[in-house]
Amino acid sequence: MRLEKCWFCSSTIYPGHGIQFVRNDAKIFRFCRSKCHKNFKMKRNPRKVKWTKAYRRSHGKDMTQDSTFEFERKRNRPERYDRNVAEKVLKAIPKIDKVRVDREATHHKNRMKGKKSKEQKEAAKELEQGIVLVKAPAALQQDPSLTLPQKIKVKVSQKQSEENHAMEE
Amino acid sequence: MAASFSSRCYRVGRSLLGGLVNGFSGLRSTSNDLTCGNFLLQQQRTFIQMRTVLKVVDNSGAKKVMCIQALKGKKGARLGDTIIASVKEAHPNGKVKKGKVVYGVVVRAAMQRGRCDGSEVKFDDNAVVLVDKQGQPIGTRVFGPVPHELRQKKHVKILTLAEHIA
Repeated sequence: MRLEKCWFCSSTIYPGHGIQFVRNDAKIFRFCRSKCHKNFKMKRNPRKVKWTKAYRRSHGKDMTQDSTFEFERKRNRPERYDRNVAEKVLKAIPKIDKVRVDREATHHKNRMKGKKSKEQKEAAKELEQGIVLVKAPAALQQDPSLTLPQKIKVKVSQKQSEENHAMEE
Repeated sequence: MAASFSSRCYRVGRSLLGGLVNGFSGLRSTSNDLTCGNFLLQQQRTFIQMRTVLKVVDNSGAKKVMCIQALKGKKGARLGDTIIASVKEAHPNGKVKKGKVVYGVVVRAAMQRGRCDGSEVKFDDNAVVLVDKQGQPIGTRVFGPVPHELRQKKHVKILTLAEHIA
């Protein structure tokens, strides 16, 4: 039994699922669900629809080139059955899967690098620009508590912490 | 975008210009028609029933046939069923002449048909291969893809003649 990929969203189609459309030139389009089939009938390009794998690949959201993808590929040459090879393949599948997941995680991490600082910078800028909406500039000068807070150092005495320990006991 | 614009127009018309509501509502209805047309673009495909015109995809000489009876099923024929048809268009010097009543096997149907594993299959058009009463094809070639379900229907000859099996 072969697990096919959906033409539109590239998800796996398990046996008994979905619909397949055979064009008159005998090209077969397989769809995992009616959502993908309907999008195909609307002549949408999967590369322009954001939730598809094709979009994510073409826009650098997902990992595209990796040696782990070479294992899961359609080969037109039939492989002669060999018990040892089959055993080794079964043993290797979880390991390869783990390697792929790890690499995808690092790819995502690299992609998201610098996002937090960027967001914070943007938020600070927005606060600086929009604070006049909350309070007039004249009032701001009088009340410094509404501006961006400066770092305030607080000294914690050693005694206090000891007292706390005593309380817990 | 057009819909949102028209709806805004409509609201304005109702609140401020009571007399102009008709004009604006007319605008709104046209936009509705547009969306409706988009929706109707995908026609619901149905059974092959009496008066359905099918393409003939073999070299028997007929070009188009019209279904006059489905041999199985109350509602009509589906993919792989046999029908009785009358030849509506034919090549000038083929085996089958215009106006003859022939038997045919539906090898492609635009209406989806369930497969043995629960998935479904559908084709681009409605096509038929002409056979005699015993089920042997009249022509010697079959064009385009045919479904593998024909094997269960005992039309192995059509399958062997076919270019592609889907």
